Amino acid sequence: MLRYLAKRAATYAFMIFLTTTAGYFLAVNTLKPALLEQERIPRPTPEQVANSFRLKGLDPELSPWERYVEWLTAIVTRWDWGRSPNGAFINAEFGDRVWISTRLFLASIILTLIIGVALGVYTAARQYKASDRVITSYSYLVYIVPAPIAYFLVQLGAININETVGERIFFVTGISTPGLEGDGWAQFVDMLAHYAVPTFAITIVGWGAYQIAQRQYLLDNVNADFVRTARAKGLTRNQAISRHALRVSFIPVAQSIAFTIPAIFAGGFFAEKIFAWHGVGSWSIDAIALQDVNAATATLAYGSVIFAIGAILADFATTLVDPRVRVQ
Amino acid sequence: MSQEMTASAASAGLPATDLSPAERLHVAGLHTAGRHYTDAATDAVLSVRDLNVRFNTENGVVHAVRGIDFDLRAGKTLGIVGESGSGKSVTSMAILGLLPPTAEISGSVLLQGKELLGLNDKAMCQHRGNDIAMVFQDPLSSLTPVYTVGTQIIEALTVHNPTMSKQAKEARAVELLGMVGIPSPKDRLKAFPHEFSGGMRQRVMIAIAIANNPRVLIADEPTTALDVTIQAQVLEVLHTAQEETGAAVVMITHDLGVVAGMADDIMVMYAGKPVETGSVDDIYYNPRMPYTMGLLGAVPRVDVAEKSSLVPIEGIPPNLIHTPTGCSFAPRCPLASDACLQGEPELWPVPGGAPGGTTVGTTGGGLPHQAACIKTDSLGLEVDVREVFKAPAVPESRFDAIPRAERRTVLELRDVRKHFPLMKGALIKRRIGTVKAVDGLSFDIREGECFSIVGESGCGKTTTLLEIMEFHKDQDGEVVIGGLSNKQAADAKTKGAMRKELQMVFQDPTGALDPRFTVFEVLSEPLENAGMFKAQIRQRILELMELVGLQPDHVNRFPNQFSGGQRQRIGIARALAVNPKLVVLDEPVSALDVSVQAGVINLLDQLRAELGLSYLMVAHDLSVVRHISNRVAVMYLGKIVEIGDVDSVFDNPRHPYTRALLSAIPVPDPVQERTRERIILQGDLPSPLEAPKGCNFATRCPVFAALPPAKQEKCLTLEPELAAAPAPTDQQFACFYPDGELDEDMLVVHDTH
Repeated sequence: MLRYLAKRAATYAFMIFLTTTAGYFLAVNTLKPALLEQERIPRPTPEQVANSFRLKGLDPELSPWERYVEWLTAIVTRWDWGRSPNGAFINAEFGDRVWISTRLFLASIILTLIIGVALGVYTAARQYKASDRVITSYSYLVYIVPAPIAYFLVQLGAININETVGERIFFVTGISTPGLEGDGWAQFVDMLAHYAVPTFAITIVGWGAYQIAQRQYLLDNVNADFVRTARAKGLTRNQAISRHALRVSFIPVAQSIAFTIPAIFAGGFFAEKIFAWHGVGSWSIDAIALQDVNAATATLAYGSVIFAIGAILADFATTLVDPRVRVQ
Repeated sequence: MSQEMTASAASAGLPATDLSPAERLHVAGLHTAGRHYTDAATDAVLSVRDLNVRFNTENGVVHAVRGIDFDLRAGKTLGIVGESGSGKSVTSMAILGLLPPTAEISGSVLLQGKELLGLNDKAMCQHRGNDIAMVFQDPLSSLTPVYTVGTQIIEALTVHNPTMSKQAKEARAVELLGMVGIPSPKDRLKAFPHEFSGGMRQRVMIAIAIANNPRVLIADEPTTALDVTIQAQVLEVLHTAQEETGAAVVMITHDLGVVAGMADDIMVMYAGKPVETGSVDDIYYNPRMPYTMGLLGAVPRVDVAEKSSLVPIEGIPPNLIHTPTGCSFAPRCPLASDACLQGEPELWPVPGGAPGGTTVGTTGGGLPHQAACIKTDSLGLEVDVREVFKAPAVPESRFDAIPRAERRTVLELRDVRKHFPLMKGALIKRRIGTVKAVDGLSFDIREGECFSIVGESGCGKTTTLLEIMEFHKDQDGEVVIGGLSNKQAADAKTKGAMRKELQMVFQDPTGALDPRFTVFEVLSEPLENAGMFKAQIRQRILELMELVGLQPDHVNRFPNQFSGGQRQRIGIARALAVNPKLVVLDEPVSALDVSVQAGVINLLDQLRAELGLSYLMVAHDLSVVRHISNRVAVMYLGKIVEIGDVDSVFDNPRHPYTRALLSAIPVPDPVQERTRERIILQGDLPSPLEAPKGCNFATRCPVFAALPPAKQEKCLTLEPELAAAPAPTDQQFACFYPDGELDEDMLVVHDTH
């Protein structure tokens, strides 16, 4: 098993290297931070701009290949992912932003998975009954509603509550109240007040997909021959379904769950923008707007790593739940 | 013993034959109008009374089971026989309470005196798997793939014995696996179902079913999905299981051979109703209902050389959405008259028949001989079923008179091989072995003859057909079709010419026809390809329809408007469209019901004679092969082990594998089934990686097992070549010790009755 994982990891490492290299060349050829510098007042001379960039390791006069070699050497020898045009260090910025994204998504993704799978099982057991129809219709609805619209609606709802109560219970943007004084309890309440709205929003639009998948896979197995065998042994229908059908139907779901988990650390563009949590997701888009070659490449590399971890976890999960899959 | 006998008569053991005729009538239930059974027999473990099942469907209420009565005693076996859709599986599921809640079930099912119908799921669970258990048809999908075999057996024990200790349960599971013949049962407990072959999985299913020593065991087509040699093994296991547990067995099957040796009583079902019941001997030797007679006449016999046409039963079973107003079989019955349409006949005792399985020489378990036909009286032993059903005369081909050696060769294979490399590894593949799917095959087919290839699944039959159809010059070995060799087949023209010589009929007629093509389009496609003009095509298609026994004005219908047998006829017409010399038949009747199968076999026989066709047939049903073929080749692991004239090979098999294969086939003849000695091969086909070095068959060979070690050496090191048997028989076999002594462990005689 370990050998297999190591082999897969090596394959993915190679692929990540390729995508990152391709991404770097694309970025270095298209993103020209010098142009943005021209909009400053007072407008710097081209020599000033070039000097400033040279000091930050972003010398626009070097060829893309030379810059690539320099960039790669820095990463390999010093684990230094370079600097932004504004002088910030990618490494330092990165750690902060990953932590912000993680905090934003951790609770909501866990809730999404648990609620989605549980509701999937619940609705499959009550196929075509009122509760199944309501829940499954809801899932399809959130499937088609664009996420930003749902997030805005939740924000509006939270604001409405605040207005009705006449007190600010929920914060609809931001991570914490700046300059808040007080003991640990006050800090904690403040965090909850900031945390509740985005977590709620991400969760209620997220679980629909898992509910639909789990319901479908379970229904596929409810009338399977082996469930009939289990009933013939003397298990009631519900026992047979929960012991036999559920385990088999969970195989494909487990795979997609394993794939989703790393996404906790990857952040999301819409949620971070709308709730004003400045994590990795919003950074990756901002980097392009700010013509930031190093930040754009770093977020790309990070995304690839997250994807690779997801794929390996999915393989691992499959071998864990399905004995028919053998690792060679 | 009859069901209506008083308790005192039963306890006194009074044989029914000692009763006066009036008493006998009373026993047979004639005094209770319409219903011939009233109370359950006191000693029956399972009594079913007037069982009815209705399903609500979109098209209306389907009355799938319409009044079933039977009693089953401990240790006895009831065979329920019928074609697909006759309601036999629904009956078993109704007894076990496994039908969906939408099914409407009425009547009575008494298990050891306790009513089962109307129990809720939870109450029913006290019985299911405990005193009544079931073995299902498809062993591949009937075990949960994610649990070990041991877990699944132990679960059956846990449900009904919550207090049993873990060690006791494990010990019992090991004992059960050993009982059903799984080698090293202790280690195999931890194996998952996918690590078992189909036959082994069916053994596990049986182990689960008998785990709690049930009083009644229902087996629903337990061997239909298995190879004949494996079928023989599994039937043997079922037999042992019944002996060990003393359970009563309900055996549901469409195969009259399978139940002939096992059952005490038979119930023949048609359109959801029993149409004839009786002891096994009554049913097989003295059938009194035209449907039973037809069914028995429709089955080819593997043990009979005499050539006679099979009995075809025309038409299709009725749709059970409409309750039949007359006899449900009347539309297909050659004897039907107006009287048959006046009300549905009930089961009536057969005159002179056994009222309760006590006739001399019978072995019945209790069902009186009854038939649901108003003409029962006139259908005695003297009636010839072939006359009744107007079985066609045996067709004679113009080639029959010409000696084989003087006839033209239409197909010749010379040393054809197909080896598949077995690869391992994801990115960098390396070869770890070779699968010799076809390994040096040579044979020829002459004009007007039918040549069949038989063997277990995985022996290379289908690969051989594919190799012939491939017809490519890079193939290993030479294929000559009508004088055209694959070695010269560089251009499309030769291939086109070859396709006119050779056409194919496929196994599944439903899958082989495009559902969006009308029959006309299906048939015109090959003709257009052959460059025929429109007017000619139309004429040819009408000709073809008539040729295969379909109505020409049905050409504009779609395949789904035809029955299975008719679809296969369309498939045959399509193959014959371009007037081929050779038709390749890949399991042409295995997807069809017995009664329909007979019609298609007769058609194939007739076409061969009339058109002077040659057939290359692949089939797993050796009875069909014997009936239709002139020559036969037995394949094992990619090689021909025996080849020759069908009668010489089947009557005097020399190779141990042929002997085992033939012995595995159940014959629809109860007396013979009970007395004959059968060879039960051990284990499954070896995996290609473990293919033996010398003789392929040595690992399972009953002769090899009985040889002294000195002689065994030869089998293990040298590969036997095909050698001709002494003249004048046209027969070759590949064995060093033909006709050798058989190992006694692999021989079984059922001398139970």
